[in-house]
Amino acid sequence: MGKIIAVTGKGGTGKTAVTAMLIRHLLKESQNKYNILVIDADPDANLADALGVEASKTVGDMREFMQESRFTAAPDTDKQRLFESKIFEILIEEDGYDMLIMGKPEGSGCYCFVNNLLRGIMDKTVVNYDLVLIDAAAGLEHFSRKIFPELDDLIVVTDESRRGLTTAERIRDLAKEMDLKYKDLHVIVNKVTPERREKVLETAIGLGLKVIGAVPFDQNLAKFDLVGDPLTGLPDDSPAIVEMKQVVKELGL
Amino acid sequence: MAEEIKLDISPMYEGERIRKGDLWVELGGPKADGFELSLATPMDQIEDGKVTVVGPDLGETAEGTTMPFGMVFKVGGEKIEKDLESIIERRNHALLSYISGLMHLNQRYDIWMRIGTNLKKKGVTSWTQIYKPVIDLYKAEMPFIEKMEITIYTDPAEVKKQLANAMAVYAARDERAKGLHDEDVDVFYGCTLCQAFAPTSACVVTPDRPSLCGAITWFDGRAAAKVDPEGPQFPIEKGTAIDAIAGEYEAINQMAEQRSGGEYSVMKLYTFFDAPHTSCGCFETIGFYMPEVDGIGIADRDFKGAAPNGLPFSTMAGQTGGGKQVVGFLGMGVLYYFSPKFLQADGGWDRIVWMSKGLKERVKAGIPEAMFPKIATEADATDIESLKKFLLKVDHPVVNGVSRPVDGAKITEGWKFEDIDDDMKEKVIAFIEATGGDIDTEAVKAKLGMSEGQFMQVVEALQADGVLE
Repeated sequence: MGKIIAVTGKGGTGKTAVTAMLIRHLLKESQNKYNILVIDADPDANLADALGVEASKTVGDMREFMQESRFTAAPDTDKQRLFESKIFEILIEEDGYDMLIMGKPEGSGCYCFVNNLLRGIMDKTVVNYDLVLIDAAAGLEHFSRKIFPELDDLIVVTDESRRGLTTAERIRDLAKEMDLKYKDLHVIVNKVTPERREKVLETAIGLGLKVIGAVPFDQNLAKFDLVGDPLTGLPDDSPAIVEMKQVVKELGL
Repeated sequence: MAEEIKLDISPMYEGERIRKGDLWVELGGPKADGFELSLATPMDQIEDGKVTVVGPDLGETAEGTTMPFGMVFKVGGEKIEKDLESIIERRNHALLSYISGLMHLNQRYDIWMRIGTNLKKKGVTSWTQIYKPVIDLYKAEMPFIEKMEITIYTDPAEVKKQLANAMAVYAARDERAKGLHDEDVDVFYGCTLCQAFAPTSACVVTPDRPSLCGAITWFDGRAAAKVDPEGPQFPIEKGTAIDAIAGEYEAINQMAEQRSGGEYSVMKLYTFFDAPHTSCGCFETIGFYMPEVDGIGIADRDFKGAAPNGLPFSTMAGQTGGGKQVVGFLGMGVLYYFSPKFLQADGGWDRIVWMSKGLKERVKAGIPEAMFPKIATEADATDIESLKKFLLKVDHPVVNGVSRPVDGAKITEGWKFEDIDDDMKEKVIAFIEATGGDIDTEAVKAKLGMSEGQFMQVVEALQADGVLE
């Protein structure tokens, strides 16, 4: 089984942009060394947009389909297989990577059974990839349901403020409370201004956090964001992209 | 005849995904017709080991093609009967998936397969080379298969034609499956999936009694228990019933005791009143007994108001949930309303007096036609008084006493007054005087709000007093 990495962080920190840039870098630089599965697990974010991919139906949609299937499917339908096929149907197949969008959270009914099926399907799915990258909401919802297998790396993206950095601490506590297992916790500080870089790193060390990237504020990125262009098109020499080299190295990829 | 090629076959390839970049040919799925069918066939009509391809063979198929596909497996053997067909067909997924370079998803007319370019590189040119080993896999796993012959359809018109035949076979199977009852099986399934929320909940899933959450049918229990024998769904050998009408089984009592941590030692399947099934936490609907009318009401999760007993769904669910066995309240799954054993010990539908409107419409097909207009909704009754009036008006069985349909036993006496006070006596006298002694039961119900039985109770009391003769 390959490596499983989750990227999380509060809204507005640029978590999705960082994830997209990381994917861009891996696709470009590693020459398809990895079979990558990208999972958008943040209903507020839009990773598909950032990657220039047309969004498909979501795992949430399929979960609802499964809830209704008991009225519509043949009585002896194997639900695990039906669900597995439905998940494959919404898999977005791109050059170099596949993508799955988790979508909206559950409704008010009982999802124990269908989530249990989903767990089994996810376990079987991720072994097909060398690298699984999850863009996760700060509340880590899907992790509390244990939908995803254990993580290798949990990355918290923050801005350069002290408050931002303490978010990383809080997420570390939350992960502990939820019994979310990971091997390493890293921090990527985003939109760092050159003059504050030293100070930010110092604060992080003071909080016991391991910073694997300090992504500089990037005019190109700001321009792309403004018009909504996919970040995969960013030029190689964009300062934010250049920093991804460091991140990938730190992650051992 | 294509030469035999040694394929890479192992259970470890089950779950293998053929990704877009490695795709040779895609079969069935969302974009093309596809089906799989296993048919129990007389031995003399099977040419053992033969694979026939109707339509273009694999070698003639360009990389990246999506095409219609059908596969028909004729199986024969002394022990093979019609009922085994679907069990054999169910193994297609695993056994085909054992082949490296072959992905198989879903079932029946929804199959979705992909063949990877690695099989092309190996020199595979014919479906025969893939399906001959499949016959061997089947025979190894299911020794009762003595003969097996496979036909592969790739010609689009032929796939359509054969698919139509297959649909008729599936439909007949579904009819048989729908007719499956608790008497027909030896094994029920238990489920403790929600013990995280409801620690003493011990759910029993039978053909006639799907889970409270609504998600798990007997077929799901069977499939899940097979996939993960250590998992939350497990088999319960049914044994013989202690009480077939209430659905009491020794094996279920034992399971309940063990899985509830000793909290409950008796648990009956088809009753509301005596040792009912435990209620988990996220049951779809809740039943509640109303002693004032001696009947049961049911509210669903989407019903936001207060039921005639004054309680909203959330309050009742809070009192009952968590794996408790609470007499007078019972969590139930929507599918249970379609079961012939629905609360059969308590009179079944004859005992249901109120349902939230959305739920009543949703399960309409499960409610006996004669009872449908007799069950009130929030549009008819919002409290006990208005419910009583409604039930009197429609002549609900609870008013004069319920004889349960399952065995004809009279299980309720009908409405009776516990005490007869002067107020009632005066009303009855006034009523009799006004009607001049010509008593009409409809008028009794409408004017006095009493059932026939209750009216007679008062009349008898008046006779005892010497007021009436």
